[in-house]
Amino acid sequence: MIQPQTLLNVADNSGARELMCIRIIGAGNRRYAHIGDVIVAVIKEAVPNMPLERSEIIRAVIVRTCKELKRDNGMIIRYDDNAAVVIDQGGNPKGTRVFGAIARELRQLNFTKIVSLAPEVL
Amino acid sequence: MRLEKCWFCSSTVYPGHGIQFVRNDAKIFRFCRSKCHKNFKMKRNPRKVKWTKAYRRLHGKDMTQDSTFEFERRRNRPERYDRNVTEMTLKAIKKIDKIRVDREVRHHKMRMKGKKAFEQQAAIKELENSIDLVKAPVALQQDSQFTLAKIKVEVSRSQPEGERMEE
Repeated sequence: MIQPQTLLNVADNSGARELMCIRIIGAGNRRYAHIGDVIVAVIKEAVPNMPLERSEIIRAVIVRTCKELKRDNGMIIRYDDNAAVVIDQGGNPKGTRVFGAIARELRQLNFTKIVSLAPEVL
Repeated sequence: MRLEKCWFCSSTVYPGHGIQFVRNDAKIFRFCRSKCHKNFKMKRNPRKVKWTKAYRRLHGKDMTQDSTFEFERRRNRPERYDRNVTEMTLKAIKKIDKIRVDREVRHHKMRMKGKKAFEQQAAIKELENSIDLVKAPVALQQDSQFTLAKIKVEVSRSQPEGERMEE
């Protein structure tokens, strides 16, 4: 349940540390974003000397949420934090590594590169 | 489809039940119901919570080591479907369950052995100590009839039925 002003951790090595959500892409007046949604975010905290800097506006895809994710087989999964992976306009991740567990739903949404980089897909 | 064990209470979690929590180090905690989930969020240690299997095993209330537990080990290699094997497995599951339950009952009996004798001893002691709540000590000294053995009280049959009804 990510909405504007939500702070998210960054789950890759693109240079950003923390993002703040500004807008949900592909939604008219939708209130919340879940795992697999693309958001527009501003970088609130960045690692020094990297291509991405603080207060840059980028797009990201949400990979983990504290709000439960419900699957069709009745399984309900909850993660420990809200996290996103920085992507470009084509949907490819800007970083080269991904950290933490990733939800399996991303594969269906054509984020195959992120899924292949993930250490654990749950 | 897999039957998992609840992390907190160790009961089976069937498909469609419970919540899975994934920690940031990718360790998965499965819970059978919100009771266990909430206890986990409260950071309670299942080994200290009386109704969990972990507590019962730790304190010797339930069996810990038994050969029937070996059959329930987690296996990661998928088996090729064989009708005969499936049939045999289903029969075996029933039988193993019965054996395990029998052994658990026996374990409980062993645990409760000597309880009756212990309770009787405690009752005798209490009677000795607190007999003065029932009979005055002077009466006990005068009439040694009032001992620990069965107290026989003579019931007089001279009272007619009608008098008793008036009371």
